[in-house]
Amino acid sequence: MTSHPDLVPPPRIATWLVSLFVLPEEESILGDLLEEFCGLASKSGVRLARRWYWRQSLKTIAHLFGTGFGAAPWSTSAAVVGGFVLGRFLQGLPDKVLSAVTDKYLTYWSAHFQAYLWVLKAMLIEHFVLSMSVGCIVALAAKGREMVATMTLSLVLFGLAVPAYFVLVAEHWLMGEALWWMLFQCAGPFAVVIGGAIVRTRRSAAASSLGRVIRNP
Amino acid sequence: MTGRDYLGEFEHIIVLALLRLEDRAYGVTVRQEIEFRIKREVSIGAVYATLDRLETKGYVKSHRGDPTPERGGRSKRFFRVTAKGVTAVNRTQRALQTMTKGLELIRSYP
Repeated sequence: MTSHPDLVPPPRIATWLVSLFVLPEEESILGDLLEEFCGLASKSGVRLARRWYWRQSLKTIAHLFGTGFGAAPWSTSAAVVGGFVLGRFLQGLPDKVLSAVTDKYLTYWSAHFQAYLWVLKAMLIEHFVLSMSVGCIVALAAKGREMVATMTLSLVLFGLAVPAYFVLVAEHWLMGEALWWMLFQCAGPFAVVIGGAIVRTRRSAAASSLGRVIRNP
Repeated sequence: MTGRDYLGEFEHIIVLALLRLEDRAYGVTVRQEIEFRIKREVSIGAVYATLDRLETKGYVKSHRGDPTPERGGRSKRFFRVTAKGVTAVNRTQRALQTMTKGLELIRSYP
């Protein structure tokens, strides 16, 4: 680590997380954070400045999430509900397809049990990819509030999974089994947020390149 | 007169900070002024959320400065209190004074 505080950049992950929630017209928030980070790093040390930066970033994200939802509650809710319905519809399809295929080619699967196990593993990947696609669609629908909408949807999905987990445990499921089920359920909400982050990052990149073209035609 | 004519606690603090800072008021200075004066750590997100709300109500106005390299090429957003904002802060101050008049708050909480 360099001893020159001016050369030390702020935590990249924190900056990236804040930038996901900041609209292009609100970029001064990132500038303010950077300015204070540099001042604090030169005055009190880089370690303290980094801690301060993380704390400020997380608090700022919480505020931006709240104000983002409050600015357009109905359209954001509509995107979330649409994403929820779409997710429920899409998540059921691969199971139906797999059941149809296994029923039709039962002899094949009986002879190639390993292949069947691989298909089951592929289902996990499919669950993740489908959830990510739903996240992308929700983010595309909620322009400017991509992260707010996808995070709300993921919180709803997670909120539904938690009581279901306790029901499963209460129904004498083995703790390990229930834990794996919970991890599988958590992968979905996580993938939804990833989908939102992908759309948001691409939109920000497009907006900044457009801004450069306008400034330097 | 409705309840909306009065400023909320944090709105009140922010407007007073803007009045103190005059033409130097932007995110960093407003946040630092509040921390320095009332010893309360506030996030830059909270400051901007409140400033945006005040701007929507017409109590403050903002304009952008030039982008600077030390801010990663990002511009400062300066804020100033409008005449409507000054009226609102005066009204809130008067309401608070009226409500606290006769109460010996300082003696009760040494």
